[in-house]
Amino acid sequence: MKKLALYLSLLAVIVLLFIASLRIGIIHLQTPLWDLIGKHDGIDATTVWDVRFPRVFGAALLGAALGVAGVIAQGIFRNPLAEPTLIGLTSGATLGSIAVIATGAAAFGSRTNVESAVLFAGLAALLVQLLAPNKGLGFLITGIAISAILTALAGVMISISAKPGVQSLSFWNFGSLAMLNNQTLKIIAPFIELGFISAFMVSRKLDIYSLGENSSHYMGVKPKQIRLWAIISLALLIGPAVSAVGAIAFLGLLVPHIVRLLVGPSHRRALSFSALIGAIILMLADLASRTLFQPHEIPLGLLTSLIGAPALIILLRLRSAQWVSHD
Amino acid sequence: MINVKNLSFYRENRVVLDELDLQLEKGELVLLSGSNGVGKSTLLQLIGGVLKPTSGEITINGTDISEMKVKDQALLRSIAPQRRIFTLAYSVGEVLHLLPEKRRSFNVDLIIESLGLVEIMASKVTELSIGQQQRVSLAIALIQEADFYLLDEPFSAQDEDSVLNLVALLAEIKKEKGVMVVSHNTGTHYSQFDREIKLT
Repeated sequence: MKKLALYLSLLAVIVLLFIASLRIGIIHLQTPLWDLIGKHDGIDATTVWDVRFPRVFGAALLGAALGVAGVIAQGIFRNPLAEPTLIGLTSGATLGSIAVIATGAAAFGSRTNVESAVLFAGLAALLVQLLAPNKGLGFLITGIAISAILTALAGVMISISAKPGVQSLSFWNFGSLAMLNNQTLKIIAPFIELGFISAFMVSRKLDIYSLGENSSHYMGVKPKQIRLWAIISLALLIGPAVSAVGAIAFLGLLVPHIVRLLVGPSHRRALSFSALIGAIILMLADLASRTLFQPHEIPLGLLTSLIGAPALIILLRLRSAQWVSHD
Repeated sequence: MINVKNLSFYRENRVVLDELDLQLEKGELVLLSGSNGVGKSTLLQLIGGVLKPTSGEITINGTDISEMKVKDQALLRSIAPQRRIFTLAYSVGEVLHLLPEKRRSFNVDLIIESLGLVEIMASKVTELSIGQQQRVSLAIALIQEADFYLLDEPFSAQDEDSVLNLVALLAEIKKEKGVMVVSHNTGTHYSQFDREIKLT
């Protein structure tokens, strides 16, 4: 009952943030938001529906995706530090995106761009899994190394590319919702929805998997299969996010920690709450990034780092008992 | 019946198990003993399917486990590993409900009571003593509905009373199932075992 109340409260916060984010911005709306529903003419309507709506909706959708991805990543690597950025997925997606744009194979925000990001994210995670020694921190360290290589490769491609649409290193590394439009959202949303469904389906098995690989096998859940499934889910969640807004730091790491503090470790429950809390944090961060230093906009990833990293340190000190490391 | 036939297992060219034969039938409680390092835990991992034999075969109820899906193996045998690592702070109650209802033994209440878990159902598994964690780990394995139960060193962190309760529970379970306990020290509590297999 308490959890249901919490869930509904978080949903209410999202609705309020949604409304606030549509209203607040550099352009002061002359028309009440209510009167703009269904209208597409005039500066106010264009500002709300073509500029702010994709950003706000995108922040909610991508925040939810990153939160859910964090839960899956930490679950599958049985490590509280695992997050898509650390285990190669984000840099894989970045490289996948940049590769097709820089070679002229696809435009930024196109479906091919997203598909390439999903594919490279999955391949990067598989590569990490293939190369990592199956013990201790080997996985994370291999992930960090592979990430560094892929990020460097992406950087080289940007540097030598003549394509103006390839974006800057800063965009890919620090993330920004500024480029989001309704068209891009329409392309990435189905991938992310698939990612949500796949993540939800794997979640119960992740509870069993958390007892260890041998235990998992003894209980009828094949570790290899579950890892592959989780990696596909992660690629579907992270690929589209990175291809549309770049890398957004710390969300995937922070959100699961907050969620376990609130609702305990069960993966299925953690998923639904992570989606909401991830959405709230990214909506807040986006609102802050475009309003704090108007008319300048701060890259979103910088803000999530500035808020996320200290919050994570505080959380870890508060609740070390939520996760025991045996490494 | 679990039938281990002519089983050999080499690890990095070192012989761990050499042409081993053993059977476990329903209705018996068997002690598998032997000093440290003779391959008792390895044998359990082989029967559990996480290790593959170098040669020989393992069948459960007539089917070679190498031809069975992991999911189907888990319906026939349940294994409590020597050490189960709890990384997430589930409550004891939660961790005993990880398997879906239809795959849980009808003996759940008896198992929980015999293992002394009633009072700690709401406690976090990560905050329990080693002995309590071991009993939770055994409960996880015993709650899984199967024909055969294989427990690796289940007494190692238990006091006298807990061992007696556990043996009594296993004697109850073996009425319908086959149970094998792996232990390196054969103490005085083992009169309830039907037979002992010594690995050398």
